[in-house]
Amino acid sequence: MSGSGAVPLVDVKNLQTHFPVRKGLLRHVVGAVQAVDGVSFSIQKGQTLGFVGESGCGKTTVGRSILRLIEPTGGSVRFGGTDVRVQNGAQLRLMRRRMQIVFQDPYGSLNPRMTVRTILEEGLLIHRIGNAAERLATVSRALERTGMSPGSLERYPHEFSGGQRQRIAIARALVLEPEFLVLDEPISALDVSIQAQVVNLLVDLREQCGLTYLFISHDLSVVAHVSDHVAVMYLGRIVERASASQLYREPLHPYTLALFSAVPTIDPAKRRRRIVLTGDVPSPSRPPKGCRFHPRCPLAEQVCREIDPPEVCLDGHLVHCHVAAREIERTGGDVRAASANLAEKVASRVAEIAGDSR
Amino acid sequence: MPERVSHGFWFAAWRRYRRKPLAMAALVFVCFLIGVAILAPAIAGTKPVLCRYKGQIYAPCLSYFDRRLEPAIFVKDRFRGTYPQNLREKDPESWAIWPLVFQDPYRAVRDNEWPGRPANPTKDEGHPNRFNLFGTDQYGVDVLAKMVHGTTVALAVGFVSMGLAGTIGIVVGALGGYFGGWIDMLLSRVTEVVMCIPTLVLILALVAFVDKPTIWKTMAIIGATGWTGIARLARGEFLRLRSSEFVLAARSAGAGPLRIMLRHILPNALAPVLVPITFGIASAILTESALSFLGFGSPPPSASWGALLNDARSNLSMWWLVAFPGIAIFLTVLAYNLIGEGLQEATDPRLRESRK
Repeated sequence: MSGSGAVPLVDVKNLQTHFPVRKGLLRHVVGAVQAVDGVSFSIQKGQTLGFVGESGCGKTTVGRSILRLIEPTGGSVRFGGTDVRVQNGAQLRLMRRRMQIVFQDPYGSLNPRMTVRTILEEGLLIHRIGNAAERLATVSRALERTGMSPGSLERYPHEFSGGQRQRIAIARALVLEPEFLVLDEPISALDVSIQAQVVNLLVDLREQCGLTYLFISHDLSVVAHVSDHVAVMYLGRIVERASASQLYREPLHPYTLALFSAVPTIDPAKRRRRIVLTGDVPSPSRPPKGCRFHPRCPLAEQVCREIDPPEVCLDGHLVHCHVAAREIERTGGDVRAASANLAEKVASRVAEIAGDSR
Repeated sequence: MPERVSHGFWFAAWRRYRRKPLAMAALVFVCFLIGVAILAPAIAGTKPVLCRYKGQIYAPCLSYFDRRLEPAIFVKDRFRGTYPQNLREKDPESWAIWPLVFQDPYRAVRDNEWPGRPANPTKDEGHPNRFNLFGTDQYGVDVLAKMVHGTTVALAVGFVSMGLAGTIGIVVGALGGYFGGWIDMLLSRVTEVVMCIPTLVLILALVAFVDKPTIWKTMAIIGATGWTGIARLARGEFLRLRSSEFVLAARSAGAGPLRIMLRHILPNALAPVLVPITFGIASAILTESALSFLGFGSPPPSASWGALLNDARSNLSMWWLVAFPGIAIFLTVLAYNLIGEGLQEATDPRLRESRK
């Protein structure tokens, strides 16, 4: 938890989003895909929480559930002190003015039949803000803020490159002057050369407009760059959450360690031993018993297969792992030492497995 | 960025469509038919397009559209539909602009009705000739005049019935596809039930019930049964687009279902739905012709191409009764099919890629 006394802007508790699995002629429910299963976090105003995880771990669903683009099935989402989940139509519409989303695919998120101007004006029209001239001014301002010229107003999305389209999508999110933005992999679909530009734009906008971000990505290094806090997700749950610097200095969860080992570094001295996870991500419709990560975890023990690991929290560094909890206890609360020991353990265990299979 | 003109989807589609000569020819043909339908009384008729009679200007030809448009003075002066002689005798000062072809779609032209012209031949003597380019039917009514005035019916059948079918189909498909769940379940089953009913049989049954079968009722019935394919296509498009990211973006901006369906999904779903509507127009024309051929179509005063074919049924030696309306029906149906195909190629991005 970010801990301070102030009321967080976004406060999510035990969020659950399950999709029913239907089968047969009468389409009765035979199970549920537990896309998000008990996720809790909070974001202070002006801060950025990064969400990382493999594809399919539920990070996109978290973002969409907060905005109720997907209806959550359980838990609570509080935005500025009010519960998003109990809002009715009109209230929800007002609330949506304050939180917006930028999607991953700038080719799919802009309506191909509309000009940039109509796309950007949409929100203003829905909320009946301003007259035609004022709306045009707002729209041009938003467009300029994202580094696009107002000359593109009367053009269609297909006339722009991916990076430009993403800028338009960001401008659309800004038009209603929201407080909170969900950035759903905003750079994953862009060329590497454009990614940095867009990331910097987002960072600048956060400072200029006092925005709060939920930054979803599978790219650890980008998340580290923009986020104050980072949550690591695996199979619908948060396995580790800490401030960005803490997480990078002293990752505790074996999954986080594996993710970090996959980040390419230029400095050969810093190059860590690559931890290659075996097996596939299990289906979220039948998550494994005990710790969800245990079938792929190099440190899995008997207890991991049976009991869901409890939350261990130390200086705002939160982790769900039996092994890590024991390690922290052993080092007497020295997270850094615990992290180093765990990394050592994982590395030797991976080497062992590799040796065995050879 | 330099200022330049931007073109929307439909403009680009039109540019691609324009490059297809067959589809363009078909479009020109349909436009020609629309022109013929509108100008029918000026092309073939026995009433002046414009005339001056007793100091006033009249347009008696409009009465071909609606009987009530016949200027009262001609009724009062007992013209009885015979204008050339009456105009001359009752007001020597009068003048008139006549239709291109002096032939009436509802009756045979009598002897010397037009100065120096013989009466229309009747029965099987009405071969195409100088005065009757497409021949006459067994009562001596000019086939060309009948066909020209029947164009309205042929076009209206297509547009009205498919307008109706398109509206029902898009609404049903949109509701089912967008809302899903039990609404979709219900609407899909209804669609399937309607789909199972053979249109022609249903129409024949309904015609038997309806008091006065008019062409409008026939159109309504064709439209009310022909929407199923459109509904299924619209449903698929709405289903696909409702979870697209631009729709999600609109929802997060606060747009309600109606706005999303009309402003965001419909413009994107329209092109694929327009194609079966075009093909539907062709089949509606065929259905109407078939009905008229079987004698269940519009009652005699309104001429339709199918009714002409029906006349030919009992007079097989009069080949011109089959040939000309048949060719007209064939060409019209073909034109609509070509337009549909051109539209499909111009709007479907997958087809576009493969043809480059």
